[in-house]
Amino acid sequence: MADARYFDIRHVKGTVTHVDMDNARVESAGTVFLDRAILRVLGPRGWGILEIDHYTRPRGTLFEELVEKAAGLASLTGQEVHLADVPAGSIAVPPLKENPAEVDLQEKQQLLAEIERSARIEGIKSTRANYIERFEEVHFEDSSGNESSFAISRSGFSILAVAGRGGDMQMGYVRRHVLQDFNLRHRQEEGREAAARAIALLDARTPRGGTMNAVLDPELAGVFAHEAVGHASEGDLVQEGSSVLGGRIGERIGSPVITIVDDPSLPEFGFEPFDAEGTRVGRTEIIRHGVMNAFLHSRETLAAVGHGHAGNARAMPGEPPQVRMSNTYIEDGDSTLEELIRECGSGILLKGTRGGQVDPGRGVFQFNAEYGYLIKDGEVGEMVRDVSLSGEILRTLHSISLCAKDRTMHQGYCGKGGQSVPVSDGAPHVLLLNAVVGGSGSH
Amino acid sequence: MRWWAAVDLIDRIIKEGERRVPELEVYLFSGDTVTARLRRREIHYASGSKTQGLSLRVIHEGRIGTSATSNPQRWEECLDAAISSARLATPQNWKGLPGPCQLDTAPMNFDPAVVPDPETARKLLQGLIEGAEAYPVEITSGSAEVSRSDAVLANSHGVRYLEQESMVSIGIEAIIGQSTGYEFDASCRMDIDPQKVGEKAAYLAYASQGGEDIKTDSYDVVLSPVALSQILGSVFVPALSGKNVHAGRSRLAGLLLQEVMDPSLSLIDDPFHPKGLSRCRWDGEGSPARRINFVKEGILSEFAYDLKTAYRYERESTGSAVRGGHGGSPSIGVHVLSIVGPRCNVVEDEVVHVHDVVGAHTANPLSGDFSVELSNAFFMRDGNVEFPVRKAMLSGNVFEMLKETGGISREERVVGSMVLPEIRLKNLALIGN
Repeated sequence: MADARYFDIRHVKGTVTHVDMDNARVESAGTVFLDRAILRVLGPRGWGILEIDHYTRPRGTLFEELVEKAAGLASLTGQEVHLADVPAGSIAVPPLKENPAEVDLQEKQQLLAEIERSARIEGIKSTRANYIERFEEVHFEDSSGNESSFAISRSGFSILAVAGRGGDMQMGYVRRHVLQDFNLRHRQEEGREAAARAIALLDARTPRGGTMNAVLDPELAGVFAHEAVGHASEGDLVQEGSSVLGGRIGERIGSPVITIVDDPSLPEFGFEPFDAEGTRVGRTEIIRHGVMNAFLHSRETLAAVGHGHAGNARAMPGEPPQVRMSNTYIEDGDSTLEELIRECGSGILLKGTRGGQVDPGRGVFQFNAEYGYLIKDGEVGEMVRDVSLSGEILRTLHSISLCAKDRTMHQGYCGKGGQSVPVSDGAPHVLLLNAVVGGSGSH
Repeated sequence: MRWWAAVDLIDRIIKEGERRVPELEVYLFSGDTVTARLRRREIHYASGSKTQGLSLRVIHEGRIGTSATSNPQRWEECLDAAISSARLATPQNWKGLPGPCQLDTAPMNFDPAVVPDPETARKLLQGLIEGAEAYPVEITSGSAEVSRSDAVLANSHGVRYLEQESMVSIGIEAIIGQSTGYEFDASCRMDIDPQKVGEKAAYLAYASQGGEDIKTDSYDVVLSPVALSQILGSVFVPALSGKNVHAGRSRLAGLLLQEVMDPSLSLIDDPFHPKGLSRCRWDGEGSPARRINFVKEGILSEFAYDLKTAYRYERESTGSAVRGGHGGSPSIGVHVLSIVGPRCNVVEDEVVHVHDVVGAHTANPLSGDFSVELSNAFFMRDGNVEFPVRKAMLSGNVFEMLKETGGISREERVVGSMVLPEIRLKNLALIGN
């Protein structure tokens, strides 16, 4: 192992169980088994990586041969890599409230069917409900002698209701996921919510695009924090030179009302007891009162870029770690929603989301609201649908004029470099002045 | 896993499965991939992976059960899980898995010159870097992946189809100031040109500098194959799935034999398309693949069906099953989607040419309404770039905008499971600053 400066192995075993209900039928249900490991070896310059299916740690020299095989791949690489010294070790995984694995699959299906049934009200043409449960056992070891393990459960459901009238179709969608719990019981309300929204959207209009003031609800403002700030603060992008936030530590990039945080130690959907490099996790204030404060980091990007601390390396089973967000949120302000709407004057209140996307190098992001309401003279009025917003990171953060004090978190999955990891986003209601709102309507 | 070893394992699984259920399908996959990734101009990591997968489907009295594992040696546990899964499924009309057909078994997507070794990946990255040197930009990241895979599809009716595939894919991102460019290519043969890809990414970043604001108004817009594939894939393709049509989730339901696109255009899934990346003679569940004329000269003519959906709704499978569901189970998809029609110069007069869009996945998949941010967009007059557009949103409705187009370009390119030209769309709303 002459050329190996460091190695680590992250092995994930687990099961993924799903139930898919489609128009009152069990479309599919079952379990998939996963067992994948990744061995990373840091050579003189750069990493050699082996992705291994159904891994068992080989004994003695066979293990050394495996490390050497990965080191052989590293002989190809030329990047100067240093690893920051960081605290290793695990924080406690929140206790399981109800273990989904102990609930019979048939009972899960019946509970899901109840949620789906509650969405089948008059005017609804189609319903679909999904349940998914991931149970993972993660084992990590590295050449410095660190070794940690944890087991974690994530599960949740989504319900889609489609309303149709004439040639028009609209959908309402509700997704709820939890960490270390089972959340299918007594959730018919979410089914009714999806259905009622789909029906209401049939009468909603597409707004005319343009620049206007916008009040974002906590779910949408959370996506804003994720897309507009979170990705561009990822240390690997900063190191590559593809983030407009690179080199701006200490600079005022937003209004003083805005503080944006990422914290994998929060017991939310993006929780990790230690990251994919065995690093202890903690809170990073990316933006503090409008001033760029820190980046998110792996050990490597912390050494290369600085400013912040490691603990945000995350990976899918058997995949190389990347710098990722975990639980990202805008801190509460001290206003109320009523004050935001009054201050908005004329504009739009936007709610829900089908996600967003960012080009962090160009500093331009787009994100979408499922629906909203026009605001006129400080009063909430007519419902609108299919509203997207776009903006430039370095301009838009100055345009947040007020934050309410009603933050909630919402769960989802975030894609980067072909990997999808669980995250949560959150915020209070926020008021964004002069937002660029997309829409093809004539109103 | 060697072919004979795979067949031996499959025979054991089918023998045991048949003892317990009337019908069984086995999909056994093994792949060998080498990936190398650039961070700026240096190789940051090189990785090798050998993956395996086993995906089972059992059918018992119209109840379909599935399971999968990344460890084929644990097939018994997987078979138990598939049988449990079938017990829960709602029974449906089922007329059996397909039997074997006399199909040409010569691999369609395989080139023995594609060897997943680190040196091949290194040379591809080197080519990307050299290509990007054509313009004074910085490379931020790049990747090269070379893979080979074997997959055996087998069932209890005697189907034993072996698919051998190879794939080379590359991508690179470049930046100058705050102007970015991304370009990629993929092929099952060793015929991609990394220099050209590197140069294109660099050009996009370089040429998009100094963007100007554009007035909010209606414009003729040309979507590149990259932008078009994102918008079609988010909205139009799901609406062609027989499952969505019958489940009440497709705006195209009820429109068969009606005009849904520009009458000069046809939309086809051609599994034998010479440029396709996922060509096939049989689909993901062993039905013979065939050309599907989704839209023929503007008229909606067919939807896509797999066996499950076809049996349920008294239709025929169109050979549209692709492997991509839970644990690689089959579901409805497209093989090689293309748009056919008379070709023309799509950049005549004034147009806004859009290379890519940001946020296509946020389009409303049912209504087709979308608002996306533009990437690498240029205002053009008579085929010449007048200025790059700094920032604008494009809003419209996918179904409406395809009804009257300004034609398609002569050139086309492969983007994932599509081979597409550029398309000129009329009077779309652009929201500038």
